[in-house]
This record gives sequence, structure tokens and C-alpha cells, in this order.
Amino acid sequence: MMQKKVCMLGGFAVGKTSLVRRFVTNMFSEHYQTTIGVTVEKKTVTVDHQDMMLMLWDLYGEDEFQHVRESYLRGSSGYILVLDGMRKATLDTAHMLQQTVVRTVGPLPFVAIINKSDLQSEWEIDQTIIEQLREQGWPVFFGSAKLGRGVEELFGHLATLLMDPSLQPRAHS
Amino acid sequence: MPVDKDWTQLRTLLLAPEQTQLDELRERLDNRSVEPRDVSRVLPEAFAIRGGADQQMSTVLTPYVENGFIATVRKSPQTIVDAIAPIMGPAIRQAITRALQSMTEAFNHSLDESLSIRGLQWRLEAWQTGRPFAEVVLLHRLRYRVDQVFLIQRDTGLLLHHVAADGVVVQDQHVLSGMLTAIQEYVRDSFGATRDQTLNQFQVGEWTVWVEQGSRAYLAGVIRGTPPASLREKFRDVLDRIHAEQADAFVSFEGDTAPFQMVQPYLEDCLQAHYESGQSRNALKLWILGSITLLACCWWGWTTYQAHARWAHLVAQLKTEPGIVVTNERSMWGDHHLEGLRDPLATDPSSLISEAGIDPSTVTALWSPFYALDPQLIKRRAQVMLKPPSTVQFHIDGDTLVATGSASSEWGTETRRLASFVPGIAYYRDQSLVIVSIPDLLSQINHAAIHFSPGSATVEPSERSSVDQVLVVLRDLDHAVAQSGQRLRLEVLGSADGTGSVALNLQLSKQRAEAVFEMLKGERLGASTVVTVGTGGPLDRRGLASQYPAQRIVTFQASTEPLEPKSEPARP
Ligand SMILES: Nc1nc2c(ncn2[C@@H]2O[C@H](COP(=O)(O)OP(=O)(O)OP(=O)(O)O)[C@@H](O)[C@H]2O)c(=O)[nH]1
Ligand SMILES: [Mg+2]
Repeated sequence: MMQKKVCMLGGFAVGKTSLVRRFVTNMFSEHYQTTIGVTVEKKTVTVDHQDMMLMLWDLYGEDEFQHVRESYLRGSSGYILVLDGMRKATLDTAHMLQQTVVRTVGPLPFVAIINKSDLQSEWEIDQTIIEQLREQGWPVFFGSAKLGRGVEELFGHLATLLMDPSLQPRAHS
Repeated sequence: MPVDKDWTQLRTLLLAPEQTQLDELRERLDNRSVEPRDVSRVLPEAFAIRGGADQQMSTVLTPYVENGFIATVRKSPQTIVDAIAPIMGPAIRQAITRALQSMTEAFNHSLDESLSIRGLQWRLEAWQTGRPFAEVVLLHRLRYRVDQVFLIQRDTGLLLHHVAADGVVVQDQHVLSGMLTAIQEYVRDSFGATRDQTLNQFQVGEWTVWVEQGSRAYLAGVIRGTPPASLREKFRDVLDRIHAEQADAFVSFEGDTAPFQMVQPYLEDCLQAHYESGQSRNALKLWILGSITLLACCWWGWTTYQAHARWAHLVAQLKTEPGIVVTNERSMWGDHHLEGLRDPLATDPSSLISEAGIDPSTVTALWSPFYALDPQLIKRRAQVMLKPPSTVQFHIDGDTLVATGSASSEWGTETRRLASFVPGIAYYRDQSLVIVSIPDLLSQINHAAIHFSPGSATVEPSERSSVDQVLVVLRDLDHAVAQSGQRLRLEVLGSADGTGSVALNLQLSKQRAEAVFEMLKGERLGASTVVTVGTGGPLDRRGLASQYPAQRIVTFQASTEPLEPKSEPARP
């Protein structure tokens, strides 16, 4: 079976772990427990009648004290950028992380998700910003780990991109 | 329009063949039916080209191939069986052999250990942990065993191949590979180490994890116990071989692990285990020792059981014995102890002890005397204390002593006085007792006669009852006389009839008296009684001649006389 390494990237507390947990075990917890280092999880998806095992590397969140270690990114086939709709700053973090990946591993397939859509009324990230991102070629999803919204689609889309990297729109920053 | 017409004619003339060809081509283009023959020519190449380009081909074909395969299996399974039997046969054989081998090994180990102290400890452990004994033995015997081997791609942390020893519980080997890689990165980063400096080994409880780094992939072995350094070399060797043989697969690796199926034998080669060897000589000694111990135990158990049974039987018997009350009994390591009450007249317990097959010297008995109220014992006690003549029978009726039969008036009065002093007796009844006086008895004896046939000195059988009657009376008399403090003198007198010579008659008389005397002599009479033999005509003296005219008889002459003082000890 095809196996792919996928990294979960984003600022701290944006919901990386929550998304992975929702996707793998279909559970969610309000309780915040920051990830130290990495947690590796596994889930098999089917793309085009073909099974693919996603090895999900859930990294700790990037903040001003801790920058993502490039060694964790090595060997990735793709990655997911997670943003917190309630914090505009997580957008900058996402940008920075994306550039880090391009610099260290190369232009890999990726998908972005603006998480916590259950609290959309309190979002700082508005429609115009999202449009800008899409123009830059980012596939942007909305989702909520809490409600399980957009999670399957997010990982499913990344899996399709992994299967056929030519589908990835050319990103330009 | 003639010009137009000419043109057409001209064109037809010039281009007629091409026109036909064109029409043919158009027709072919319009009805694009594909000729099977055409396709058949290019089909293999087409497959090859498309198949090499991407996975689409196999994706499209897979369902049809699957269906076809299923249909074939249903319709003619034998074809499939024939096809795969040559491959499956050896594989199954190998699997069975291996299973049998590990079973025998486990069995041998268990057998070796089943009798040692260590074995007992392990048995206890097996019982406590609920694991099979054989498994516990194997784990203790274990020097080391490689439980699992992972081949992991270095950059991605993806698991390329994995093997595990029989019976090892494997969690999620894929996640474990990822975490193992992540941990290595973490440790390396945390210490600022370079890429070549790696985490080579770490310890988790009884497990050691060895990591052997290669340029493309690394080998991780989960080992239980203490592995030897040579195993490290083995890992290294295997990793090098894999790198050499799979160089292409490593370069083109995109997440498809199928090519690495080939490394299975190499990884299995790493699944080594080493156990302490059992010492068979010791095992034999152990067996012999064990058997002897077992026999000794059996023998000891049997004898102990028997001794115990004997003792229990004795105690039960003593408990039913009248006049014996067991209040405490103990039996330990062959020593017995008895405590209780015993009537002096009860059966001697030591005789019962010997009868029960127990050595009396091993028994300490502590008997306190008491008067038992069992009827048998009261009767025995009454007999001892009241000394009834043989003509008296005693019966116990509750707390009443009943005397029947006959006795002298002296004994009668004495007993009436003494009976209630016998422990256990409150009342005495002698209404049915016939009291006979000494004079009565004397006259009874003196009137008795034993008859003889003419010329014979033999007591006829018909006369025996007469002798017996004399004996009964004599006994009573003896008893009564003794109690009255006198003594009895008895003469046995023989006589003959008048026929024949005097000398002969005298001799016959004497012989007859002696014959009767012989019969009386067997009787144990009191020392105070004197029996003598005589002859003569006492009948005349006593005026009995008319009664016994024939005079071929033996008669008795009984009389009492006062006892010389101190010739007999006083009665109690
Ligand atoms: N309302 C809401 N809360 C969410 C959602 N997803 C995550 N959270 C909460 O956000 C907090 C952080 O979630 P995590 O998944 O731990 O975030 P993380 O990105 O893994 O954080 P780090 O590991 O520290 O980088 C937790 O309290 C979650 O309950 C969501 O979709 N909606
Ligand atoms: Mg986390």
C-alpha cells in the first residue's frame, strides 16, 4: 500500500491536534493540551479506488519562542496549513511556515484550513483575505474540528493532490 | 452553365482515382468501426505503454480480473488448487514444522524445569500471572530474543517492512516507526547533534531497542533480554545487504513499500533468540531424586494415614467401652496421649491398645478412677463386693439390684445390709431369692444317694444328675458354712448288698465311695470343707436300711464343726 508522510503545520492552539484526532478517531476535546515535539498518527484513505496510508505528523505549534524544526519536515509528501479563524496572526504564521517548507523540502502539495468555523461570527479572518489566499493559489478550506465539519474533505483533498501532484494550483506569493 | 460542367468533367478526369480514395477515407472516418484485427496487432504494446505510464491501467482492469478470478474459483477450483499447490505445500509444511519445533522446545523446557525449586517458583509465577507455565519458563530461560525488526525509511519515517517473532503482540508498527523516527530527530535536535550522530540504543523496561543507521533506511530491533555484540554485527550486515540489493527501490521510493517485501528473509534472519540450555544430566538426577522423594512421601503418607486410622478406631472403641470416658486424646508424630476417667472394673485399656495394633509404649494414659453407672459395671461391682454364691444371679434394673436363685440366709441378710453401699445401686430386691439354711442343706445332702449296678463301682450315666444335685447343694453349703464361720465335714460312704463275700463287699464299697469322691474332687470347694471317703453301714445307723434294701449305694455324711481360730482371713 502507498504510504505518505504528511505534516500538520500552523500556529499554536489553532487545532492541529484536534483535527487529526477528529479525522483518526472521530473524537474532540475542549481541553487544550499543547503538543510537545511530534505525535505521529495513521489513517488509511481511498483515492481513486486506491488505498493510501497517511502518516500524519502532528507538530507542535509555531510561536515566537519555538520555530518549527526543519528536520521534522524532511521526507514529507505534503502538508496541511492550519489557521485559526479567530486569530489573524495565525495567517502570518501559516505564510511563514509555507515558505519554510518550500525552502527546505520544496514546493509540496498542501491544503490550508481555517479552523473553528463553529465560531465563525467571531472570526478575524474575513472573506477578502480568503479571496486573496485563493488568488495566490492556496486551496482554502473551512472547518471545525469540534463539529467535524470539513475534516474529511480536507484530508481527502490532500490525498488526491498526493496521488496526482499536477492538480496543485501553482502557488505564487 | 457549360463552364461549370466542363470543370467538373475535367476534375473527374484528372482526379478520379484520388476522388475514389478520398470517398473511401471519408467513409472510414464517418463509420469509425474499429477492426478487431487492427486492435489485436497493437494491443500488447498499448498495454505496455499505458501500464508503464501510470496506474490507471491496473486500476481499470482490477475489478474485471478480480471478478474473473472469483468466477474461476467458483467454477473449477481444482484448476486453482493445481496451480498453487506446488507453492503452498512447502510453505504450509514449513509453518507446521516451525510450530511443532517451538512446541517441543517449550515442552522440553517445561519438563526440565518442572521439578526444580526454580521450577516451583516459576509455576507459582505462572499461576499468579495467569500465563502458561511453558511461557514463563521460556521467558526466564531467555538470554535474549529479538521480538520485532523494523526497516524504516530514514527521511519519511515510513515503515518499509516489519517482522515479529511468534507470539509477540505487535501494537501499531506504522505509528511506532513514525514515532521512532520523530524521537530520533527530537533527540538529535535537542543535543544539537549532526545527522550522523544518532540514537543507537535505548532501554524500555526489559526491552532494548537497537537502531542501526543506513544511508537510506535504518533497522530497529526490539530485543528482550541482553543481546550479544555479535547481534549488532548481524543487524549491520543485514542492513548493508538490503541497501545493496534494494538500491533502485530506495531511489525511486515514493511511498510504495511493495518492493521491500523482498527483504522479509533478511529481517527474519534477525529474529534470533538464545535460551539457557537445560542440563539433562541434572534433570535425570532431579528425576531420580524427585521419584525417591515422591515414594518416601507416599510411604510416609500411607503409614501416617494408617496410624491415624488405627488411633481413631481405638479412640472410638474406648468411647463405646463401658466404664471408660475419654476426655482428651492427642496423636502426634507417633506419640499418643490419652486422658480420661476409668472405672477400676472396666476393661483394661492397654489390652485394647495392643489389640488395635498400637505399641502401648507410645501411649501415655492418664486415667482418673470413677464409678461408672453402666449396668454391666454396676453388676460387676456388685459381684465383686457382694460375692454371691454361684446359685445366685444378679440383674440390674435401673438403680435396683435384683437377686434371684438360692442362697443361704446368712448371705441373704448380709447382702440386704450391704447392697445399697455398692456405688450405682440404690435399691435391692430379693423377693425371688430362695433362702436355704445350713441344716436344710445338710439334710438334703445327707439324704442323697447314688445307686450302682450289682457288682459295679462305676457311676452310671443315669446317676450323674444325682451327683450334680449333690454338687449344687454342696456348693451352697460350702459357701454358707464359710460365711457362718464354721467348717463343713463331708464323708462319702460306699456300701454293697449282702450277696458275695464280706471282703469283696468291703472292697466294692470302698471303690464306689472313691468313684463318687473322684467326681466331687473336681469341684472347687472352700478350704474349710473337708471331704473324706469311708465305707460301712451308715444306713443302719441312720435307719435308712428299709429305704434302700439293696444297699448298692454311696451316701453322704455331712456335718458342720466350729472353725479353729485364724485358719481363714476375715472377709471384707
Ligand atoms: N470551538 C472550537 N475549538 C477548537 C476547535 N479545534 C480546536 N479547538 C480548541 O482549541 C484548543 C487547541 O486545540 P489543539 O488541537 O490542541 O491545538 P494545536 O494546534 O494542536 O495546539 P499545539 O499543539 O499547542 O500547537 C483546544 O482547546 C481545542 O479544544 C474547533 O473547531 N472549534
Ligand atoms: Mg497539538
